[in-house]
Amino acid sequence: MRLVIRQALLLSFKDTRLFFKDRFAMGFALLFPILFIVAFSLALGDLGPEDEQLRMAVATEEESGFSREVIDVLTVSDATGVDEWDPKDAGLALHEGRIPGYLLFPVDFTQRIFSGEGTEILVVTADGDPETEAVLGGLAHSIGGRIGTLSLAARGVTELEGLGSLDLVKLGQLGTAPPSIVFTTEQVGDVEPFNATNFTLPGYLTMFLFFAAALGAEAIARERQTQTLERLLSNGVRRSAIVAGKVLASIYRGLIQLAFLWALGIFAFSIDFGVSPVAVIAVSVLMAVASSAFGVMLASLVRTVKSASSAAVLASLTLAPLGGCWWPLFITPDWMQAIGRLTPHGWANDAFNKLMLFGAEGQDVLVHMAALLLFAAAFLAIAVVRFRTVSAN
Amino acid sequence: MARMEDFLAATGLTKSFDSVQVVDSVSFTVRSQEIFGLLGPNGAGKTTTIRMLSTVLDPDDGDVTIGGHLVAKESDAVRKLIGVCPQELALYPELSAIDNLVFFGRMAGLSGSEAKESAADVLERVGLTDRAKDAVRKYSGGMKRRVNIAIALMSRPQLLFLDEPTVGIDPQSRNHIFDTVLALRDEGMTVLYTTHYMEEADRLCDRIAIMDEGRIIALGTPAELKAQVGDADTTTLEEVFLSLTGRSLRD
Repeated sequence: MRLVIRQALLLSFKDTRLFFKDRFAMGFALLFPILFIVAFSLALGDLGPEDEQLRMAVATEEESGFSREVIDVLTVSDATGVDEWDPKDAGLALHEGRIPGYLLFPVDFTQRIFSGEGTEILVVTADGDPETEAVLGGLAHSIGGRIGTLSLAARGVTELEGLGSLDLVKLGQLGTAPPSIVFTTEQVGDVEPFNATNFTLPGYLTMFLFFAAALGAEAIARERQTQTLERLLSNGVRRSAIVAGKVLASIYRGLIQLAFLWALGIFAFSIDFGVSPVAVIAVSVLMAVASSAFGVMLASLVRTVKSASSAAVLASLTLAPLGGCWWPLFITPDWMQAIGRLTPHGWANDAFNKLMLFGAEGQDVLVHMAALLLFAAAFLAIAVVRFRTVSAN
Repeated sequence: MARMEDFLAATGLTKSFDSVQVVDSVSFTVRSQEIFGLLGPNGAGKTTTIRMLSTVLDPDDGDVTIGGHLVAKESDAVRKLIGVCPQELALYPELSAIDNLVFFGRMAGLSGSEAKESAADVLERVGLTDRAKDAVRKYSGGMKRRVNIAIALMSRPQLLFLDEPTVGIDPQSRNHIFDTVLALRDEGMTVLYTTHYMEEADRLCDRIAIMDEGRIIALGTPAELKAQVGDADTTTLEEVFLSLTGRSLRD
């Protein structure tokens, strides 16, 4: 047993050394996934940690009056996203690009309302910024409508009480058909938008972990062809040590891949491991074991280098979409989710989604971990039974 | 029955792949400290025979004894006595020559220091000490072949299997390999050498077995084999070979 462990370790260290000398293999395992992660994160949503909340600026030229009361209401809480600016400062800030635009209440805003002449709220934006104009226009429209509704209510009250000191009929004319828009803001804590990388990174990590391990089958087939495995056998190396060494080397490579891509996800894409980071790591390690066993199993089933390459590509590109690497399984129909369960990818991705998107705890993915372990055991059993050291030539 | 001076004795070796009989009842002995040549056209069964002799393949039938150990029952003991240089370049081109040697030495059971010491010795023997730290992929074909042989020498074997060790190399490298093999024999090593270069077999081998279609069809010293088809002084081994195996293509 000691001999087998020694031989397996020596073999796995040598293979790991060869991995670091092989630029293509390194690039494929570590850099290629990044391209996919970035591209699909950009396509699916925000890459950054948090969306910037749009701040709206309002300013009034009145010292007191109706506009002042409106602004007081709008700025009572930071959650409304409205800031009061001095009119001159607001103009300067817009000019310097510090704010995209602002609402301006004119100096005679209140007086014109009470005189029944009608008034206006100015929407001031930079040229060619329709988004800001639409947002501020919507706010102005809402304020106008609200004032109109209030004026109608005030007229009713005045008529009932026989008060006629104010020309509330004219005041009411401002909002004869107001769009009754009411702003309701529900504050539920710091709002963090969906970070698409929380899905894309585990998905592509799973795909490329299995892909790289599957391509390892090609290297094993090549060793069989060049008779290095045969030479090892005649050197006294046990067949079981060769299988174990190949699996171990693949696990090391997988762990390097995991460490690199998870670290990248944390530091560059602000991904969130959820409430149980330990479970995310445990699932990752089990996935590395399962993918390594899968790669060696593949090597044991093929005869030539070419067939190993073809099998690796075919298996990887079939299992990845079925297993939810390209899209979340939970958005797919039941029958597709059932098929996903037949792949290790499916269990791994489902576990990552639960942990990283839905706040699941470690115990919620114990079944997933057991499934990955079963897959690893099954792949390994086939690899041990079928592994050949001699080419068929 | 193996004689005392026979280091290797193969009896009735038989092997089939997918119902094709590749080796058919092959029997021969290799004496201690001789260079025994196994000649034959492509597909004659030479490599399969070596695989069975070197514990890599189990024969369907027959026995092999090496150094007094039955291969089928004492493969571990046999593996300590043998070194194998396969027909392919069975090495890691991305590693240096010394790293290849140390790796295979350690896999054969040597400690780190023993492997380094042995690597230095064999590198000197094959004339690659100066290039020891270069990646093997940068070597010429002849140098790669010499590394391939050097790896087989790492565990200081008593019986060396060389399976077509000079394929595709220049005359200088080939000559160097000949000198190395002869020197090893003179130092007491037994060598089983397969080739289809007749002049190579004629120059190196003490005895030769000619294989064709999985069977041994002739066995003897080069002079004895030449005498079978003509005058031993004027007949070439190639004439013997073609006379025994025919002129039809075998690929």
